[in-house]
Amino acid sequence: MELPLLLSSTLTMCVIGLLVNPIAGLGGAVGLKGTDGQVGEARARGALPRASGRAMEALALLSGLPVCFISCSGAMGEEALRNAGVSRYEVAYRASSGLTSADDTVAACRIFLERNVDLVLFCGGDGTARDVYSVLGDATPMLGIPAGVKMYSAVFAVTPTAAARIVMSGCREGGHFLIRDAEVVDVDEEAYREGELKTHLFGIAKSPYVRGLIQSTKQVFESHDEERAKTDIAHFIREVMDGTPDILYILGPGSTTAAIAGELDLKKTLLGFDAVKGGALVASDLHEQAFLALLKEGTQARLVISIIGAQGALLGRGTQQVSPNVIRIIGIENIIVVATPQKLTETPVVFVDTGDPDLDTSFGTHISVISGYRIARRIKIGTGEIPSPNTG
Amino acid sequence: MHTKILLDEDQMPKAWYNILADLPTPLDPPLHPGTGKPLVPEDLSHIFPMELILQEMSPKRMIDIPSEVQDILRLWRPSPLYRAHRLEKHLKTPAHIYYKYEGVSPPGSHKPNTAVPQAYYNMKAGIERIATETGAGQWGSALAFATQLFGLECTVYMVRSSYSQKPYRKSMMQVWGAECIPSPSTRTKAGSSVLQKDPETPGSLGIAISEAVEDAATHSNTNYSLGSVLNHVCLHQTITGLESKEQLAMVDEYPDVVIGCLGGGSNFAGISFPFAGDKLKGTHRETDIIAVEPASCPKLTKGLYTYDYGDVAGLTPLLKMFTLGHDFVPPSIHAGGLRYHGASPIDSKLIHDGVMRAVSYHQSEVFDAAQTFARTEGIIIAPETSHAARAAIDEALRCKKSGEAKTILFNCSGHGHFDMSAYDAYYAHQLVDYEYPEKLIRESLARLPKIPGT
Ligand SMILES: Cc1ncc(COP(=O)(O)O)c(C=O)c1O
Repeated sequence: MELPLLLSSTLTMCVIGLLVNPIAGLGGAVGLKGTDGQVGEARARGALPRASGRAMEALALLSGLPVCFISCSGAMGEEALRNAGVSRYEVAYRASSGLTSADDTVAACRIFLERNVDLVLFCGGDGTARDVYSVLGDATPMLGIPAGVKMYSAVFAVTPTAAARIVMSGCREGGHFLIRDAEVVDVDEEAYREGELKTHLFGIAKSPYVRGLIQSTKQVFESHDEERAKTDIAHFIREVMDGTPDILYILGPGSTTAAIAGELDLKKTLLGFDAVKGGALVASDLHEQAFLALLKEGTQARLVISIIGAQGALLGRGTQQVSPNVIRIIGIENIIVVATPQKLTETPVVFVDTGDPDLDTSFGTHISVISGYRIARRIKIGTGEIPSPNTG
Repeated sequence: MHTKILLDEDQMPKAWYNILADLPTPLDPPLHPGTGKPLVPEDLSHIFPMELILQEMSPKRMIDIPSEVQDILRLWRPSPLYRAHRLEKHLKTPAHIYYKYEGVSPPGSHKPNTAVPQAYYNMKAGIERIATETGAGQWGSALAFATQLFGLECTVYMVRSSYSQKPYRKSMMQVWGAECIPSPSTRTKAGSSVLQKDPETPGSLGIAISEAVEDAATHSNTNYSLGSVLNHVCLHQTITGLESKEQLAMVDEYPDVVIGCLGGGSNFAGISFPFAGDKLKGTHRETDIIAVEPASCPKLTKGLYTYDYGDVAGLTPLLKMFTLGHDFVPPSIHAGGLRYHGASPIDSKLIHDGVMRAVSYHQSEVFDAAQTFARTEGIIIAPETSHAARAAIDEALRCKKSGEAKTILFNCSGHGHFDMSAYDAYYAHQLVDYEYPEKLIRESLARLPKIPGT
């Protein structure tokens, strides 16, 4: 028993901030679509907490690794760590009452940031992801163990076991995780309870991932590294823009379109729509009326958008500024979709949900997505209603 | 009813067919990359032996195959022509499908048909080493095999992404005594400059060609060899079409449709030129001759017919051909041998002039066909070859609809035994259907400087 310990202590210790949102998923179990503001109701309906159990499932697989956890007291982390048989942890945050809230998540994350952790591993749903991201931004990578009601953000692993695998792969490398961009989306819970999915892009986090699940069938990407893939796409689109100086280009939200603006040395709003023509910024953060004003009679325009969130939404979710009316004026043939190969491997099917079913069907069955320098991929357009989020 | 139609060894053709003799209008000449003037034989003499340069420009219709070359070709030639009875039955087609199987050569493809004569002429010219490039490794292993038979050294620049993806092709080259280097490499100026700009590049055939040409041009004992594209390569491959014509005649057939996949254009040229010659001469005007390319690298269906370089660095002569631009780096599809921006000038001209035509397919459609072929005819074919199989199957299905009993011939250019990871990816649903965003690329090129001679 001595030897493995000795061995592991010679490895660089990976430091992970662990946070469990004890009430995540409470609402889902009793038919409430989300838990925000519904804890009392959920408990009254007899909901039992499940987040701690989900966290434990992941942690049990990590107990032998050279990892040091920095966590929170009780149901916010310690309980799951202890039950999973993890001994190397430190409680750095104590919640003041038994009923925890978003404030506790935020406070714990501040401490993780101060302690310079390699990764924040959290257990919850989209709401928790949003709270964690609001502190970390893109400074520290975050990874979600799915336990909430809705998990449309791209920071979630598919299952607790998958989350553990991703953590393991990085820890073996001494805390060097392969990092990619992952959207954190915010779901309108009111609308969601009414059966409608309305999301908007809250931010773009850094999240670890595992490359190519089946190594022996290595599919060579246009490029392996996501940052590089973005640069390749941006480089190509910039050349297209250079060749068509009379066309107005509207760049949608996300880091891939931001990379295009970067190529042009323009500052883009990360979450909004900006217009560019002849290499200069014409307008930023457009809303529907501003769009319509810009697109007045005969302006030839193109919309450059990327795919948002883990569910592969193309238009509609997170891009409500672009109304069906705006899309019709621009013309479907003038929409250029861009996405990195890394993103596309996770979203083999994309969804168009403009709010106008006729317009949606006119997109057809496949779409060509620019995925590299002078390279496109043919991607299937799904027909599903609300695509199901990652559930364990 | 025969399944295999075989020729005796003494029926192997003794001369190649040179279609240049039958072209109604001459080929646009290759141009010197520096001066933009038509090439003269001396321009090429520092990288090719004179005998091959003369073949490149020869007006003679039939060119004798040296007997030393015939002796070696007889190791596997004449290759079998198969009637695909089981595939026909499976498709319920009235069409007659024939395939010329070139996978019986020791390296497993049509490539040694030209590697052997090229090595021979270089040996005769006193050359000690040959430098070349290879994409998926088919050509590199074929030239390794051929040079070794004539006691020459061989240096193969292998596209980096394939170098790691196809380790067994590398192993074959080693067995046959060749040196295999991942490209881009620091051995050459061309490779170093690419690496400096982009250390993570997956490489491309265009870059590897630049490296091999530079290696040959800077070493006096070394020549360069190209596995496709050039006229003399197409010439050497005509042995497959000439044999097929004999074999079909043995069963009283003449093809209505002739099909080959096209990377640089050599196996397609080989199977089709003898029939295209008949079409040009007017003896069989109706033959439908089809080149099949990947949708991800569609030079024939979406490229321009213009002068372009054969390589990335612009070291080769300018050739009039269908091209996607010499700096185009095609996506990493599994049919590595079809990842080339240009095409043989003769194939290009004949397609441009409407004597032959081209179609393109996505990767996943192509592997569907490869699976059907393997499950009916038994042979697991190369991803490149699968493009031809796809087109042949689609032609046969069209015959089923129309009720026509057409005779379809396709070149089954190689086996896929070293491409099993590609099949794995197919079964894991990991094949990506790449596309060529033609309109955007044209726009992006609008402001680029023109190359000389266009
Ligand atoms: C089996 C096979 N078929 C076809 C090709 C395409 O080359 P070409 O167009 O010169 O015949 C290759 C090239 O590597 C190949 O390996």
